[in-house]
Amino acid sequence: MIDYFALALGHGLLAIALLRLMLREGLDVDPLIGEIKAETDANRKATSVAGRNAARRTKTVEQPQADGTSSADA
Amino acid sequence: MLDLVFLAFIGYVLVLGLRRPFLWVLLYVYIDILAPQRIGYSLIAALPVSLIAFAAAFGGWIALDRKEGARFTLRQGLMGLLLAYCWWTTGQADFPADAQTKWDWVWKALLFAIFLPLTLTTRARIEGLALVLLLSVATIVIGTGMKTILGGGGYQNLKFFVNDNSGIYESSTLATVAIGLIPMLWWFVKYGTVFRPHWLVTGFAAALTFACLLVPIGTEARTGLLCIAALGGLMLRYTKRRFLFIAGAGVLGLAAVPFLPQSYYDRMATLAQPSSDESASTRVAVWQWTLDYVGEKPLGGGFDAYRGNRFAYVMPVKQVDGNTTSVTYSEVVDEGRAYHSSFFEMLGEQGWPGLMIWLALHGIGLWQMERLQRRWKTAGDEATRWIAPLAAALQMSAIIYLVGATFQGIAYQPVMLMLVGLQIGLNTYCLRIDSARGLLERSVSRKAAIANTMRSAVAA
Repeated sequence: MIDYFALALGHGLLAIALLRLMLREGLDVDPLIGEIKAETDANRKATSVAGRNAARRTKTVEQPQADGTSSADA
Repeated sequence: MLDLVFLAFIGYVLVLGLRRPFLWVLLYVYIDILAPQRIGYSLIAALPVSLIAFAAAFGGWIALDRKEGARFTLRQGLMGLLLAYCWWTTGQADFPADAQTKWDWVWKALLFAIFLPLTLTTRARIEGLALVLLLSVATIVIGTGMKTILGGGGYQNLKFFVNDNSGIYESSTLATVAIGLIPMLWWFVKYGTVFRPHWLVTGFAAALTFACLLVPIGTEARTGLLCIAALGGLMLRYTKRRFLFIAGAGVLGLAAVPFLPQSYYDRMATLAQPSSDESASTRVAVWQWTLDYVGEKPLGGGFDAYRGNRFAYVMPVKQVDGNTTSVTYSEVVDEGRAYHSSFFEMLGEQGWPGLMIWLALHGIGLWQMERLQRRWKTAGDEATRWIAPLAAALQMSAIIYLVGATFQGIAYQPVMLMLVGLQIGLNTYCLRIDSARGLLERSVSRKAAIANTMRSAVAA
């Protein structure tokens, strides 16, 4: 009887634990390390040559438009 | 009926693992510790459930796991080296047939311990392994504790799920493992995320701790008493009010005294007088024999080399006749006595090289856990504040294991090797956080430097 109780309790808890682990988002990909890596990647993108060029292109496209808008208004 | 329940549980985990293959690794841990195939009677005993779980765990990792963050570390290399060395000594063994029998389970335990850290790439996985390990052992401990309270116990009298005196179902081994897992149990009470802190969790942990402490009493395992003493000593480091702790432990110990059976006192008394007990007195003789043996064979004699030992010693024999107790000294001849110590087990079987590898494996683990505790003890955020306490719990478990291992041959105990795997997994995980944060800091500095350069250029 004691053996059956111990086995039932142990297996019940194991079953719940494993189900909760299966449903957990961070089981296969660690959220903390993922977050740090995403931030690092964003910084790298911002500082890379390609990233800076892209930013410059965006700026130059925006600049004439802004100038155009201001002259028309004037 | 019992077989069907076990098979249903194994089938349930196999199905869950289809979505998360890591759960198959945990299934193998459960099967290796609890051994349901040895508890059941018919169907499950005929099925190779352990092999199925190992194939699923390894195959799932190879074929389906992301493997991101998996690292092969120095301690895994040491276990690989030990595995290769054991294979070599098995080929040269003094007793080839017996050596082969031990090799058949040792290589699996070592291989799984080498593989295990490769799967522990996230916090959830580290916690998952610790939890399954704990609950598998708890299943045995709960039954043992209840039987001790309700039915007494006694040396080699207490019945486990499996009664062949092997693996974790050997009384001293179970006592060591049960006491060794207490620190980890209380880590779950505070930092668990699968079962979050709750009064039910605390209540279960308190009851399980009590059951763990009852294992050495119920089984009358002397090693267990030493492990409890070691646990008490280790806890002093983490206790703020040390004198209160010592006084409390003393009062608790005294309060427990009236409830202990006479047979327990008799058995514990042999700790102080080892000469009066055959099992205790042969230890010293076997250890001396082992030292002489490796003097001739420094590379070891392979598994079960102790079978070649033979020695005679004098032991007191008490005879009670009415009110008179007479003690006579008689010569006892012993043959093929086991090492009764993991240190001497390694020395006799694997020689000095094997012992050095084994000591390095555990020594580096203790040092790594110490380093992790110091590195992360000030971490206050939810994502990392659990690390230092887990490192402390794992270090305490390892020390308690080494205390227990001094008096029993459990050098290749699978549960202990899984704890080694857990230590490696935690250490690698922390190194990955440090490395990722280092890269982040560099990227932030670079970004700031470029922003400064651009600002200067615009100003010029």
